[in-house]
This record gives sequence, structure tokens and C-alpha cells, in this order.
Amino acid sequence: MPDADVVLVIDDEPQIRRAVRDALRDVTTRVDEAANGIAGVDAATSGRPDLVVLDLGLPDMAGVDVCREIRQRSAVPIIVLSARHSEHEKVDLLNAGADDYVTKPFSVLELAARAKAQIRRAKTLAAATANAAPVTIGGLVIDTIARKVSRDGIQLHLTPIEWQILATLLGAAGRTLTHQQIFDAVWGRQFGSPQQYLRVHITNLRRKIEVDPASPQLIITEPGVGYRAELAR
Amino acid sequence: MAKRRDLVPWVVWIAMMVVVTVVLVQVRETIDQVHVILVYLLVVLGASTSGGRLLAFPLACVGFLLIDYYFQPPYNSIGFNKSLDFVALASFFVTAIVATDLLVRAQTQAAKAEQRAVEIASLARLGSETLSAGRAEDALARIAEVIKSTLKVTDCSITAWDPAEGFTASTRGPVSRPEAEGEALLRRALEAPPGVAWVRFSGEIVRRSAVDVQGPAASDMVQRILIPLMVQARPVGLLTVTNEEAVALDASQRRFLDAIAYYAALAADRVRLVAEAEHAEALREADRLKDIVLASVSHDLRTPLTTIKALAQSAALQGNDSAAAIEEQADRLTRLVSDLLDLSRLKGGGFAAANPELNTADDLIGAAVRQTRGLFGDRQLRTIIDLSSPALVGQFDFSQSLRVLANLLENAARYSPPTQPIELAAKREGASLVFSVSDRGPGVRDEDLARIFEPFFRAKNAAPDAGRAGLGLSIARTLAELQGGSVTYAPRPGGGSIFSLLLPAAEVRLEALEQGDAMAHSSTIRSSTNHRDDA
Repeated sequence: MPDADVVLVIDDEPQIRRAVRDALRDVTTRVDEAANGIAGVDAATSGRPDLVVLDLGLPDMAGVDVCREIRQRSAVPIIVLSARHSEHEKVDLLNAGADDYVTKPFSVLELAARAKAQIRRAKTLAAATANAAPVTIGGLVIDTIARKVSRDGIQLHLTPIEWQILATLLGAAGRTLTHQQIFDAVWGRQFGSPQQYLRVHITNLRRKIEVDPASPQLIITEPGVGYRAELAR
Repeated sequence: MAKRRDLVPWVVWIAMMVVVTVVLVQVRETIDQVHVILVYLLVVLGASTSGGRLLAFPLACVGFLLIDYYFQPPYNSIGFNKSLDFVALASFFVTAIVATDLLVRAQTQAAKAEQRAVEIASLARLGSETLSAGRAEDALARIAEVIKSTLKVTDCSITAWDPAEGFTASTRGPVSRPEAEGEALLRRALEAPPGVAWVRFSGEIVRRSAVDVQGPAASDMVQRILIPLMVQARPVGLLTVTNEEAVALDASQRRFLDAIAYYAALAADRVRLVAEAEHAEALREADRLKDIVLASVSHDLRTPLTTIKALAQSAALQGNDSAAAIEEQADRLTRLVSDLLDLSRLKGGGFAAANPELNTADDLIGAAVRQTRGLFGDRQLRTIIDLSSPALVGQFDFSQSLRVLANLLENAARYSPPTQPIELAAKREGASLVFSVSDRGPGVRDEDLARIFEPFFRAKNAAPDAGRAGLGLSIARTLAELQGGSVTYAPRPGGGSIFSLLLPAAEVRLEALEQGDAMAHSSTIRSSTNHRDDA
């Protein structure tokens, strides 16, 4: 049973479009294709896809601009394909509204898994506007309304900052948030010293909620980019 | 030649004296004695203009005697009848001497002024030529030419000098052989106190400060003068003045050399600057080309590789064994492309500058474990972090450090038996965070120790590995050093290797953490209060 009805692939290389189509065979019933940025933005709006796979290096538009244009018109999840490992580029794209990022050459399994995760995340978000139910992962129960976390029935104490970080990441579960996005959500537009401690706070948070803090399963580090909460496995 | 030319005024003016005497003697009865005196005075003054005091003073004495002998009664005898005649004669003598002296002085000053004007004009012309010459070397050549013609010496040359490269350009054309003598002298001259140092041909340095331009002493007779050219106390070249015979420079010539050495220094410095600019331009161009090549290799190779890998993998998932082999080879090619890119970065310094931030050891270890878990499979990777004490923090670039640590883990997985666990530990040692990866592999043989961090090095006893270029450790070390850290090796007691990544440790002020918490807390309360107000 496919997760999505329509996935839009924006890529100027027909071979890559074909490869993506093959990779997403089990994920979606239909794959729409666009060969450039302008057609892509159009199709993302009119075709109502459940997911956009966007290749960078399009002849007519910069990837960041395509992301921004689509984001202005639609909340559809966007996965970016890039040939470069540049973290700067990743950060810019995520800040411009992309949801995830896959480096070429990619594994079809990985692309399919990430596509599924994004589609599911978007659907849950749409279905449950008020996500009141406590999140349960393994023995960990996170009640975002009551602001309580427990493991195997034992209450864990989180500091207010740790709570805000956790809530921010859970609110965008499955999506990588850049450091800047987390700063903005937790500290607001307040600049200065507290922000540089984000990584220390995350480490302390992990030590409280992760089973093995040396191998985190809930809060995942995206090196040089940011963090992501992983709920579905 | 010179001596004979000096005799001409003597001959002319002595002849004039004789002619005047002969003519006046013919008419001495008819003219006034005063007129006679005036004529002689004119002759003496005339002689002083071309012969100076040396000619005028003797002529004044001769004139005195001639007037007394021929023109004062009693004629044709020394002595005079009236004392008034003596007064007239004495007046002639005093006037001649004083007027001669004044005239000569005025002449000397006029000559000096003229010479200064010439010096200033030539310096000004040089200044503009130095700045406007098409090639910096042309400016040097023109300055040398002006020095040669102004000082009337046999030869003058200017050589640009660079502390790193030695003599780089010369007015004698390209520097073909190391001018060892000049260089040794220049170095010695530089040891002298600041100012202009005059170097004698014998190698003896005659120090002169820039303002000390007193007249020459006999001992200053030199055949060659070497002047180090300085710009802001930095040596930029050497000015060499050579004459066949030993010469002593007078004050104005020294002043001229002092001033012109300044221009020569600027011109020599310009040679260096132009060379530097050209070099920088060439580097920029090479850099730009490298970036283009890297980008196109990255894009042009990855795009087909992406297609091959994705299509092969899709086919392999449907049970096609050949497709699985194709996918493996595509992966191998991808690794080789990465190695190729890394190699060019390693050689050209193309690794991005480190972006050190406050990071924790936990975070780095977690990311490294996650990134390499595919390599380990069922194999045990033990992580050792002290969870009871506060998190270890350091100031480092997360991604680059992750790459280093992942590489050390990969090596450990590749070179040690699969049954043996690998340990990854973090601890604080002095000012460093130490991440160590310990395995039970063969270790590094003593003869290989010095070379394991070199590009392409692969130990002879190492198993042949699938398509890696052997750049891992050299890249690891480069990346660690970029952020002030290092990678070290130590044999592990009981067999095996310990590779360690050292990174700069940092301190976290706990109160800052709590303060941050308090602020966030208060803002939360405020926002929830607002929320209630809105509701």
C-alpha cells in the first residue's frame, strides 16, 4: 500500500528522474516530473503532490529559490538531492524551507525511507492539529501538554531549556532543524552567550532521556547542520 | 687634459696684463693715474672670474708693482714721490683683493645653487619615471643610468633583493648567478645601525648615518660603494656604484646618492610588489581553475554514478545479482572520486577552514557511532564516556572532527579481527579533549611509524582494501591540525593500536548554563501569561 498518491521530482537529468521514480516505486502510486525550476514550482502548486524531490543545479533557478517559492505556496514536504557535501548549502536549504536532504549518489533504500518519513510526518501533522496524546518511544513517555517525561514509570527532571528543546524537536519530528531554527524557537531572537550552549544542553538532555547517550536513538545529530527527533522506526 | 685646461686662464690673464701694461705705458703722459688703476682693477676682477682667488691674488700683487713701476713718478722705478700716490695704490690693492673675494664667493654660491637645481630636477624626473615606468625593471635601469652620468663613474647597477629568494632582478638583466659577494656584503651592511651604510670595496663597512654628509676624508677613497636599499627598515635591494679609479665623494654627491638611494629602494620594492602581485594573480587563477575542476568532477561524475547506483540497487532489490555487483562497483567508484577530490584538497590546501564551536564529546561520539555503524554490524564497539561528571566540552569544528573520528573507527574496523571489540573513549587531558580508538589489530610496525600519516602510505602487512587510496590518516591529521588539534598513534598494551584525536578542550561556565535556563524559563512564563490574557 503506497504512502502517497503523487510525488513530484524536479530534475533536469532524465536519468536521475528515472532513478528516483524507481526508488519511490513502493512509496507512491504516481510520480510527476518537472525538468526545471519554473515548471517545478508550478507543478508543486497545481499538482498537489504529497512530496517534492528537488535536485539542485537546475539550469534556470537556484535550489534555495525553488524551495522558497514552493514554501510560499504550499506546505508540501521537500527532500533535496545534492551532489555536494556542503553543510552551508544544507543549512541554507533547510532554512529556506526544505525538510530533508540526501547527498548523491544516494541509496534507493535511504531515499525511500526518508520519503516515507516525510510523507507520514506531513499526514500526521495534518490529521492531528492538536497532538495531545503523549509520545511513547520504548519505555519513554513524553507528555508535551503536562510537560512530563518518564522512563519506565520513573519521572525524569528536565530543566526549562531542555524542555523547550525537546518540545521544539518533537514538534518537527522527522525533520532536521538547523541550529538557527532551534535557537529561534528556544531563545527567540535573543542573541548572545546562551545560544552557544545549545549543544551542551542537548548533551545533558540526551543523558537524561536516551537509553545509551553515546548512541542516541531519539535526538539525532545532523553534523554541521542541526538536530532531528526520530520517532518512527 | 684637466691640468692643461686649468692653465688657460693663467696664460690669458697674464697676457692681458702684459698687453694692458704695454698699451698704457705708451699713453701714460696723457691719462690720469686713476684711470690706470681702474683698468688694472678690471683685469684682476676678470681673472678672478675664471681663475678664482689663486689667479687673482698674484695678479693683484703684480698689478700693484706694475702701477708703481710704470705709472707713478718717478717712472720706471719702485717707490713714489707723494704719499697720496701710495694711498691710491693701496686702495687699488685692497679693492682688488676684497672684490675678488666677494666675486668668487658669489660665484661659488651660484654654482652650488645651480648644482642643487640640477640635482632636484633630476630627482624629480626620476621620481616620476620611477612611478610611471612601464616595467618596474625599467625604472631601476633609468635610476642606475642617472647615477652613472651624474657621478661620472664607470658603472652603476641596482639589484632587487628578496629575503626569501635572494637577488631577483637586476639592471644588468636577469640574475643568472647568485651574487654571493654582494649578498654577503648586503647582509653585513644590514647588521649596521639604521641609516645608509657605505660599504667599501675591500669589504670594510664605512658607516654613515643618512644625515652625516660631511666632506670626504682621505681614507674614504673607495672603488666601489654598496648601498643597501631599505623600505621601512626592510631590505629590498642593493645599489652598487663602481669606478675604475678610487674616488672620494663630496658632500653634494653623497647627498645625491642618499636621496637617489631612496628612489632606487622604492623602485626595487616595486619590482618585488609587481612580482608578488603576478604570483598572487597566478595563484588565484590556479585556485579558480581547481575549484572549477573540483566542481565539475564532483558534478559530472556523481550524476552518472547516482543513476547507475540507484538503478542497479533497484534491480538488485528485485533479486538481480549482477545488478548488486554493479552497485558495489558504483560505490567503489564513488569512493575513488571522493579520494581524488580529497587528494587535490590535501595538496592545494582546499579543505574548508575550520569553524570551531562549542561542542560536546558525547555529541561527537554519538555521531561517529551512528555514521560508522554499518561497518561494524554485529561487531562490538564499546564507547567509554564518564556520564557521572559534567559533559566534556571542546572548541572544535564538529563535521571535520567527525570525519577524523569516523576515519579512525573505519581503520580500526578494517585492520583488526572481527571477533575483537573496538573501544572508543573520550577523556580530558590538560588542555585537550582526547578521543581514542583502540583495536586489537596488528598495530603499526616500527619501520612504518614515521610514514603512516603520509598520503598514499599503506603498510605492507595490511590487507588489500577495496579501492581506497590510502589518504585517510593524512587527511585526518590535516583536518585535526586545521582546528588546532592533532592525531597521534600509540601501541596498545597487550597488542593493537591506539589512534587518538586531540582537540582543544573548553570550559563551560555552569552559571551561564543556568542563567540561560532562567531566562528561557522567565520568557516561557511570560508567553504563557500572554496566552492566558489572549484567551
